[in-house]
Amino acid sequence: MTSTSLPDSLIATLSGSYYTDPGIFAQEQERIFETMWFCVARASELDKPGAFRTVEVGRESIIVTRSRDNAIRAFFNVCRHRGAKLCTEETGEVKRAFQCPYHAWTYDLTGKLIAAPNLTKMPDVGRTEYGLAPVHVREWLGYVWVCLAEEPPSFEEEVVGAVVTRLGDVESIERYDIDSLAVGKRIVYDVKANWKLIIENFMECYHCATIHPELTEVLPEFADGYAAQYYVGHGAEFGSDVQGFTVDGSEGLDRIPGVSEDQDRRYYAITVQPQVFINLVPDHVIFHRMYPVAADRTIVECDWLYLKDVVDSGKDVSRSVELFDRVNRQDFDACERCQPAMSSRLYAKGGVLVPSEHHIGAFHDWVQGKLGS
Amino acid sequence: MKIPVCRLADLPRGEAYRLEIDPPVSVFHTDDGEVFAIDDTCTHQDASLADGWLEGCEVECPLHASKFDLRTGSVDSPPAKLPVRTHQVVVEDGMIYVEPSQAVPNLPPCVGARLAGGLA
Ligand code: FES
Ligand code: FES
Ligand SMILES: [Fe+2]
Repeated sequence: MTSTSLPDSLIATLSGSYYTDPGIFAQEQERIFETMWFCVARASELDKPGAFRTVEVGRESIIVTRSRDNAIRAFFNVCRHRGAKLCTEETGEVKRAFQCPYHAWTYDLTGKLIAAPNLTKMPDVGRTEYGLAPVHVREWLGYVWVCLAEEPPSFEEEVVGAVVTRLGDVESIERYDIDSLAVGKRIVYDVKANWKLIIENFMECYHCATIHPELTEVLPEFADGYAAQYYVGHGAEFGSDVQGFTVDGSEGLDRIPGVSEDQDRRYYAITVQPQVFINLVPDHVIFHRMYPVAADRTIVECDWLYLKDVVDSGKDVSRSVELFDRVNRQDFDACERCQPAMSSRLYAKGGVLVPSEHHIGAFHDWVQGKLGS
Repeated sequence: MKIPVCRLADLPRGEAYRLEIDPPVSVFHTDDGEVFAIDDTCTHQDASLADGWLEGCEVECPLHASKFDLRTGSVDSPPAKLPVRTHQVVVEDGMIYVEPSQAVPNLPPCVGARLAGGLA
């Protein structure tokens, strides 16, 4: 990107076409979403063998399921015979096997081809070789991550490493015991904006005082515009009169026992590129996954996780959920407000980042590096 | 004519063995420890019942879920309509043998259809 002399305070954003061009989006699908670890589901959604979920990862549809040995497995949602899409539902449950609705090729929950018309007359057809094509799977923090690359990058470096970079060490997140928390609420947002606008928004807090009145009440330091993500290991402190991370600052839910004294009454935010945001507060964890659908559309699925007892006992989590639900809506409205202007001729060379946003420049360099441009 | 199948010890409960004779026969060892033999080929289409799902004394066809009774060969509901044959099983000295039925088998019509000109 060549920009004509900007004042020292400003650096350039990506140009407008990065947010609108279907060709660039296709490259991002191929070189980012189909090569990196991509978070697809909460493991507890797959609550029994045969429960499945289908997710678009880059340009591919992927089936994620639990098999009889309780392991989670993921496969390309493509029949090995003539390519019919095996599962068309977003979620569901099969009793024992996935069966193609076209010619009835039938695959067990480990992906092996177990039956097909005339199969016994074709003993040379390998049941594993012509089984569903697997993709790499990892479970961490109670979530299922897949990687479509043949040789996946190191999960420890890329995913765990992103958390460590933000928090300073892995123990800081382990103390929230995220895999044993329960989903108290899930909200799915259909955002008419490019996925990068959502990441950029999440990375900065220059907008906080303007669009997040409730959040700024709870976290007064956000009014100065420096996001928690600007620092390493920094949690934004609750205001002195604030009792909990709720829409009105009233008391929250039961505190997660492992959370340390210096993590108490603080808010931490983490981005795991390319599509996960995690917020940590003493009594809950907010876990966002983005599913980029098109250059101008992204589905964001957000879970509010609490102690299992809190969820099982039916405690009222609504004020707690409402705070970040409002924040999300405020943020996504802002992203949707920007999206149309990305194709304006005025934005052909992009916009600018102020100093409290300069760290977003590193994200832009990262994207461009991935795309080889 | 008695045809040796396999050793009983090599066929765990809940599993099936496909005997490659013409037409093939499948031998099931049920969870209750009984051994049955029926025609392996579903009467609806060419599917191997040995690849199906054994539940009690029934096997469910892996392709379209018709269930066959291992004791009588009868089918519970469509799409398969005709029964499979059952075959006599004997276990001697730990070895399973099958005595194939002399009745005419109810093979699926797919082979005939293919010869008649390949209808979809
Ligand atoms: S395309 Fe799936 S069985 Fe033919
Ligand atoms: S092939 Fe057995 S029911 Fe269709
Ligand atoms: Fe925001």
